Amino acid sequence: MKITISQIGAKQLVTLEGRLDTTNALQFQEDIKPLMEGETPDIEIDCTNMEYTSSQGLRIFLMLQKSVNARKGKMVMKNMKPQVKEVFDITGFSNIICII
Amino acid sequence: MDKNYGLDLHCQMILDEYRDNIESFRKMKDIVKKQMEKCIEENGLYVNAIEARVKTESSLVGKLELKGQKYNSLSDLTDILGARIITFYTDEVDKIAALMEKTFEVDWSNTIDKRKLIDLDRFGYMSLHYICRIPQALYFDPEHPEINEYRFEIQMRTALQHVWATMYHDTGYKSGVEIPEEYLRNLNRLAGLLELADEQFSKIRIEITDYRRQVQALVADGNFDAVALNGDTFRSFLQLNPFRKLMERIASINQAEIIEDSLVRYLNVLVQMDFKTLGDIERMIKENSEAAYQLALHQLAGTDLDIVASSLALQNLCIVSIIKKGYGEIGLKFFYETLYGPSDYNIQRAQRTLQQANRINIK
Repeated sequence: MKITISQIGAKQLVTLEGRLDTTNALQFQEDIKPLMEGETPDIEIDCTNMEYTSSQGLRIFLMLQKSVNARKGKMVMKNMKPQVKEVFDITGFSNIICII
Repeated sequence: MDKNYGLDLHCQMILDEYRDNIESFRKMKDIVKKQMEKCIEENGLYVNAIEARVKTESSLVGKLELKGQKYNSLSDLTDILGARIITFYTDEVDKIAALMEKTFEVDWSNTIDKRKLIDLDRFGYMSLHYICRIPQALYFDPEHPEINEYRFEIQMRTALQHVWATMYHDTGYKSGVEIPEEYLRNLNRLAGLLELADEQFSKIRIEITDYRRQVQALVADGNFDAVALNGDTFRSFLQLNPFRKLMERIASINQAEIIEDSLVRYLNVLVQMDFKTLGDIERMIKENSEAAYQLALHQLAGTDLDIVASSLALQNLCIVSIIKKGYGEIGLKFFYETLYGPSDYNIQRAQRTLQQANRINIK
């Protein structure tokens, strides 16, 4: 799983590449810590090259969403591949996280 | 160097006392405002505004120039510190007043309920003014006993009364200039209109509260067919956790953790599905729970997904209901658009869901 974080204007742009599963979830959680503490709560997550997310990944996205909500920001995940979107749909997470 | 306004000796002494004690009034302002905010919050009231200000020197000078001889000392001026609570509804003015009585020491001999001064045949300035002191139990500093001695004024009024009072003030009332009768008459007509509006807002609120109580009783009795589906009734219905049993069954597929999320967004979906009463939802649960569970089983079994949103039960119930009603792919696409907004992906979502439903024979 490769993660890139950059600041574009008033929001943080996060780019994800590869699979997010048990083997790298902890590292991913560590990598996104700056997003949960920063002064810029608006986050856009580009999932163009994300291949899969496991339950651990969903938990981390949920944690990030809650952190953004608490800071009155907005988080969107975009350009998800159909197989990743399906994970969000069949768990009901599409109701919790804004996917465009 | 203090500014010289050319006041007579008597008024100048009052102004000097004001200057000597301005910091105490500022301290009083902080205490009073903080205490008002605290007790309003603690009592679960929601008001339009809580304000407090210390009279400016120029405003005091203006008042002294006009009627300085009325006052023996600064203590006679009860509005050096003025606080104001603006409510949304008329009945809340009395509730706030009761709270102020408990919080501060009210000087009843100088307190005016201007609402009672209105002649029966006319409208006018309706507001409740309390003249108060800060009780020692609330704040006491032996070096500044004046903080408990100086009086201050609390105005309590509704937002519409405030609008009227502000406009009336703007006409020149403060300068003591007489308002020509025709303008006064128009102002009074406006006061009447606003009083009527205030009364209607309170009445509507009482009626809505009564309606909610009736609905809650009907919902609690399980009389769902008698309850029309709307935002209020749907929220009451959700308090009964009607989807919990199905949700727990779905979660048990992978021993999943259930994450609570809001179901309120589904109201729009249900209305689009032509559900008229809570009874329609209840029937959907009875008739489609098994199929909704089978759909979840088909989707989740064989995955390691052990976390689900609590809305999943209702999501699958709606999907099954749409398919059973024969709305097919178009119906599902519309469902996803209502729920998640327009997206090219919704048609793929709909096709995939329909294929999965067909595989387990949901028709």
